[in-house]
Amino acid sequence: MECRVLSIQSHVVRGYVGNKSASFPLQVLGFEVDSINSVQFSNHTGYSHWKGQVLTADELHVLYEGIKLNNVHQYDYVLTGYTRDTSFLEMVVDIVQELKRANPNLVYVCDPVLGDHGSMYVPQNLYPVYKNKVVPVADIITPNQFEADLRISLTDSLLGDRFLVSLGSQRQVRPDGSRATQRVRIEVPKVDAVFVGTGDLFAAMLLAWTHHYPNDLKMACEKTFSVMHHVIQRTISYAHELAGPGRRPSPPQLELRMVQSKADIEDPAIVTEATVIS
Amino acid sequence: MKAPCRVLSIQSHVVRGYVGNKSATFPLQVLGFEVDSINSVQFSNHTGYAHWKGQVLTADELNVLYEGIKLNKVNHYDYILTGYSRDTSFLETVVDIIQELKKANPSLVYVCDPVMGDHGAMYVPENLLPVYRDKVVPLADILTPNQFEAELLTGRKVNTQEDAFEVMDLLHKMGPETVVLTSSDLPSKKGDQFLVALGSQKIVKPDGSKTSQKICMDIPKVDAVFVGTGDLFAAMLLAWTHHHPKDLKAACEKTVSVMHHVIKRTITYANEMAGPGKRPSPAQLELRMVQSKADIENPAIVVEAKVLHKSSQ
Repeated sequence: MECRVLSIQSHVVRGYVGNKSASFPLQVLGFEVDSINSVQFSNHTGYSHWKGQVLTADELHVLYEGIKLNNVHQYDYVLTGYTRDTSFLEMVVDIVQELKRANPNLVYVCDPVLGDHGSMYVPQNLYPVYKNKVVPVADIITPNQFEADLRISLTDSLLGDRFLVSLGSQRQVRPDGSRATQRVRIEVPKVDAVFVGTGDLFAAMLLAWTHHYPNDLKMACEKTFSVMHHVIQRTISYAHELAGPGRRPSPPQLELRMVQSKADIEDPAIVTEATVIS
Repeated sequence: MKAPCRVLSIQSHVVRGYVGNKSATFPLQVLGFEVDSINSVQFSNHTGYAHWKGQVLTADELNVLYEGIKLNKVNHYDYILTGYSRDTSFLETVVDIIQELKKANPSLVYVCDPVMGDHGAMYVPENLLPVYRDKVVPLADILTPNQFEAELLTGRKVNTQEDAFEVMDLLHKMGPETVVLTSSDLPSKKGDQFLVALGSQKIVKPDGSKTSQKICMDIPKVDAVFVGTGDLFAAMLLAWTHHHPKDLKAACEKTVSVMHHVIKRTITYANEMAGPGKRPSPAQLELRMVQSKADIENPAIVVEAKVLHKSSQ
């Protein structure tokens, strides 16, 4: 498989968010991953302390120029996630547009990270950039309910309140030219902890599994959600071991057990079934 | 690997390709190591391409990143790994960090590739030599110089295998218990399609007892310029000495074998891409790293190391 991904995300020295969360699993699955680090921080911002440096939109452009000058700006996928800066995001859009001209089959997987549980955790002025410029060039997006801006009330899981509901929708063109939309629904077991980097892992794995199952959203979602489950279970078990009985694990203890989950990443046992709705 | 083994790797990052941290991280992670990585630069690609662009990390910025790790009390590492550096103040900050990490964990192993040059010429600023010689190498536990770098560090020329082992003994006295001369001009008994690599380990245990081992390897030459192979070598030597801490022969056989598999896969692919009769470009010669996962996990031994000397007292 000769498949090259350009991933523009954060780098943390320690732990698994952004490019640290996305690269290893994609590489383990055989993808070539070119990574532009939008920041370099000591660790994610859920720890007591964090320190580091950010990449400006100009510096991003300079890196892209280097790739372009060498005529190696051919990518099959682009992957982006958490950003705090509108000018950086707009530069990303320019780059994606140019890469799509170089390869019209390029697939842009976009996690439109804006916030969760009713509030934004990035500057508000990112919202119009995502809505008007980013999402229109995206091929796959992975919003949570808040980001999708749904005005419906929370859907209850049929399995009870220890599960949350995820929905997927894919517009397809059949061989005969007619259009169809596949809709799926997955009940996902909740875990009582705050994980960081799981959204980044999710987007990366959805990239991988939609690559292998481009017309079968049900299968792609089952694989993706199953990988998440294995990594999260391994992580929470280990975190509790480290924290000790009756104590809530700390952010360092809750870092995803990524390298330990290599076998699950390579070949995830399916633990959750998606229902096709239409 | 049951006990989590955490490596701090301070090396370059390239957007595309495999040098520095890009070369070291994936293989170590595939072998189950936790890798914390500080990127000393971020460039579009390595400097062997027609063009390269990017940004460098200053010594102050390096300090700031380390401070973040320290403030969270997670500055505990089992290994440190460093490679190519162009900046004396950056290198000196690396030395300070290593000294502090060794105080936090006295069992820490520092794997150092003292990248300065090759084939008789330096390709870093000259003023790095005294920093390596006087400050860095004394802290190193495992050192992977080529012949030229070993000569620079000790001020002695190597003309024979005996000279090489004398130079390696001098390096032991400077600090590292394990020294691997990754390449040399010494003639191989197998002919001119092979280069000679040597290894020496001198371990003094806390109870005063000593073990030492000297080995020699004949490595098939490949007619191409690869970039990032030294970085892969140091990372894999870290991994295999971890699994074979007192058996330099086994550690080197695994390391050199991984190199062989990755290089063969790379040159085959590069020649395919370039087409018959054409020399592959730097872009085409990028290491086939992700494609070599199985070889990295479990390298079939293709080079045997000869034990020249072994003793324990």
